[in-house]
Amino acid sequence: MSDSNADTQKGSSDFEKRIFQRKGFTFFGLGLQDVIRYFFGGNASLAIIILILICFFLAKEAAMFFPDHHRGLKAYRSAGQEFVDYIGQEIEQHTRIYSSANIAYFAEVNRTSLEEDAILRAQRAVLANVESLTARSWKELERGLDNLEDAQEDLDDLKESEGALDASALSKLTKDIAQLEAKIVTVRAKLKKEVTVVLGSEKAWDLGGGGIGISSGARAKVLDAVLFEAFPDSKEDHPFIVETKAASRAKKGLEAEKLAGFKDTLKALQSAVRPMKDLHSDLKKIALESRKEINSLETAPARRDAWLAGAESTDDPAEKARMLARAGEVVIAAPDLSALNAPIYSSVDEHRTLLATLQAEVERLHKDLPDGAETESGRKNLKKADHYYGEFVTTVRENRDKIQGWRHDKSLGLMASVGAFLMGKDWVTNSSWHDFYGLLPLFTGSFLISIIALVVAVPFAVSAAVYVNQLANRREQTFIKPAIEFIGAIPSVVLGFFGILVFGETLRMVSQLEYLQWIPGFPMAERLTILNAGLLLAFMAVPTIFTLTEDALNNVPRALAENSLAMGATKLQTVFRVIVPTAISGIIAAVLLGFGRIIGETMVVLLVAGNKIKIPDFTEGLGVIAQPAHTMTGIIAQELGEVDNGSLHWRALFMVGVILFVISLGVNFTAQQILKKLQKI
Amino acid sequence: MKTTMSKNRITNTDIPEENRVISSHAGGNTAETIIGIDDVNFAYNKGTDVLKDVSLDINRGEVTAFIGPSGCGKSTLLRCLNRMNDLILTASITKGSINILGTDIYDPKVDPIELRKHVGMVFQKYNPFPKSIYENVAFGLRIQGIKKASILDEVVERSLTYAGLWDEVKDRLHSSGLGLSGGQQQRLCIARTIAVEPKIILMDEPCSALDPLSTAIIEDLITRLKNEFTIVIVTHNMQQATRVSDRTAYFYLGELIEVGPTTTIFNNPTEKRTEDYISGRFG
Repeated sequence: MSDSNADTQKGSSDFEKRIFQRKGFTFFGLGLQDVIRYFFGGNASLAIIILILICFFLAKEAAMFFPDHHRGLKAYRSAGQEFVDYIGQEIEQHTRIYSSANIAYFAEVNRTSLEEDAILRAQRAVLANVESLTARSWKELERGLDNLEDAQEDLDDLKESEGALDASALSKLTKDIAQLEAKIVTVRAKLKKEVTVVLGSEKAWDLGGGGIGISSGARAKVLDAVLFEAFPDSKEDHPFIVETKAASRAKKGLEAEKLAGFKDTLKALQSAVRPMKDLHSDLKKIALESRKEINSLETAPARRDAWLAGAESTDDPAEKARMLARAGEVVIAAPDLSALNAPIYSSVDEHRTLLATLQAEVERLHKDLPDGAETESGRKNLKKADHYYGEFVTTVRENRDKIQGWRHDKSLGLMASVGAFLMGKDWVTNSSWHDFYGLLPLFTGSFLISIIALVVAVPFAVSAAVYVNQLANRREQTFIKPAIEFIGAIPSVVLGFFGILVFGETLRMVSQLEYLQWIPGFPMAERLTILNAGLLLAFMAVPTIFTLTEDALNNVPRALAENSLAMGATKLQTVFRVIVPTAISGIIAAVLLGFGRIIGETMVVLLVAGNKIKIPDFTEGLGVIAQPAHTMTGIIAQELGEVDNGSLHWRALFMVGVILFVISLGVNFTAQQILKKLQKI
Repeated sequence: MKTTMSKNRITNTDIPEENRVISSHAGGNTAETIIGIDDVNFAYNKGTDVLKDVSLDINRGEVTAFIGPSGCGKSTLLRCLNRMNDLILTASITKGSINILGTDIYDPKVDPIELRKHVGMVFQKYNPFPKSIYENVAFGLRIQGIKKASILDEVVERSLTYAGLWDEVKDRLHSSGLGLSGGQQQRLCIARTIAVEPKIILMDEPCSALDPLSTAIIEDLITRLKNEFTIVIVTHNMQQATRVSDRTAYFYLGELIEVGPTTTIFNNPTEKRTEDYISGRFG
């Protein structure tokens, strides 16, 4: 207020002076409105500041990964480990051929005795079931038998002991034994009765997921055999079992005879690689020693400083002298890498000769492998062996130049570390050999699981939303909507728990059903698989996609539907030609947000995906979904707790986090672009 | 238009046949009656009728205007004519019948979907679909299963030309219908309606959201349309009623007070209430 104004107001009353002034609560000269405004504004900016800090921290930690990783890779090369692993790759490819062929061989040998094997397996399973179902009496009998044995041993000891026989002890023992024997008889009778009852129930005949059914005739015989053996001290097999075993063995023998050539080929294949394996393990030892020396150089200054610091702080002169001496012992000199790698260089020629022989052998033996097989598994695995032979040849060809031109001091490009991270096929940590930080196994796991989850969740959620929003009556609406939204309230760890205990096993059982065998990957051998995790994640993503899709449909003006109906469109035509296309941008946003939910989900995949850090075997085609996998989120949750702050492993996990972040950003960005493009129409 | 286009479509060649089944409501009028409303009561909720004993004939090839103050039931009656009130679950006709082309449209055998293909509607608020101009006009044909591009092209051009929009949009047929001005969007909606060649077009205050210039264009369009279609228009604008309509019906509190040739209603109404309304004494 200027002076002149103040003068003119001198005469006016107090009320007039204050008429335009701020009234009520003030805080540092700010009114209530302003205080609330700044408070809310402050909250909003705080969130943004924290976001920036997180991004900065993440980026900083992750960026430090590459120099460290680069150093590790350099040590890997300098120590000759890289060279050794080239040889290792060749051996591994060979092993794959061999093991596939081996599986095929056994499938063939066992093919005629499948029935007998099923019976034997069933008998074992039923016996185990019976044992666990009658556990109480079973244990009682076991205990009784143990006691009897002890008493009899005591009796024998007593009889053999020197000196006069203790008559009272003897009679007591004899009486005990008689009592025990009587008790055993009753318990045995009780157990027998229980076993008979249990065998009548279906529970005893639960042969597990992998069990092949047996005929009813065989079932009766298995029942006999189980009755015969169902007590703890049964020593011999039921004659039927003995017979079956013999029959199985004989049939296998017969087949093995027919396939003797196959077997010889396998044996030759196995022994062909032996010299190469020897070379590999020799070199491996040498390389490991070199690596230790290189690592030791890296930590040497720190160790010396630690001794010196210790000496500084101690008062005991003797201790001080000892510590100083130890500090002096620490060698800080680069090891002579050329000398260390000399044995490796000298083995190049040996490797070449060995490889030439191996390659010739494998080529010959691969041709000797049978072309066809009688069984499905045999055919599949022979085909696999064929495929692996191709890979073997490629690996050998690719490795030839690498091995010939290998130098321990060849420089590593700047991008080598980035490439090894993004394209690395192994994630191996805490290894005595070398830690590999390759993203591919984790990325493929996350990717496959997300794809399955999306493929399942999107149709479900979108059609449910369309139904609830457009087609359902009011009663259905009030029931379905909260029910689906309730799914979102289930904690993911509970869902994971359910996935392990219930869903995984159910899925495995279902996968055994004969009429579902057309689904790729069925029958599944494992409970914790990509499919299991994908389906559970789909379930989790449904409420997100559903709710957002429903909102998007709700935002379509009612008038549009009215217009469409007034043109003579049916309700369904209106929904699919007007309402859904109008809401499509919202639906796409819903799907992408669902994807974000899926790719970022940790707990369920950690519990259910099987956590096997390996690129799934894509030779199975779509059947790859029946395999276990690990994910990017899962690995962070699993390993971050057990790594040292600032270690390479720690930074690698941060880097995985950054990749997840980048994927999410990418998804959001794509969503925005799609939305922009669609909004033009 | 050839009959090969669609089984469902009624073409001009069909009309003579249908003339024979005109309802008895044609009465003493010289013009033929196309819609016969006979003693209709209508309620949104049971017990409270918003239309009371309404009887009215609408003639083929004429523009009939419904006027009256807000809440008098004129829009409700209009929406009864293509059974749009079916969308409200509790709403129903409680008495009387409505015949269109001689058929009782509230007969259980009548499919409202089929009915609406012949009784088109233009709404107060223009609402083109968020599709291209072309697709907006072709919508009605597409939902009838017509896919052939040559037919669609022809109908789109004809309808847009009819609606006086062709010259304005022919270069941007495939850009969004929402990019047009308000008046253009309303004409696009009319083009969309006439593309399926309905017998009757219902217009629910088609100009109330438009500026005077666009209104004039639409009114001009309506007078041209009546050569081929029977039009029922609800309007609050009495000048508009005098400009475009042949007959006018005045509603008040759910009752039909008076109906007659527009000139008679506006110059020489028989009812006092009508006179009060049109002279602006209330409403």
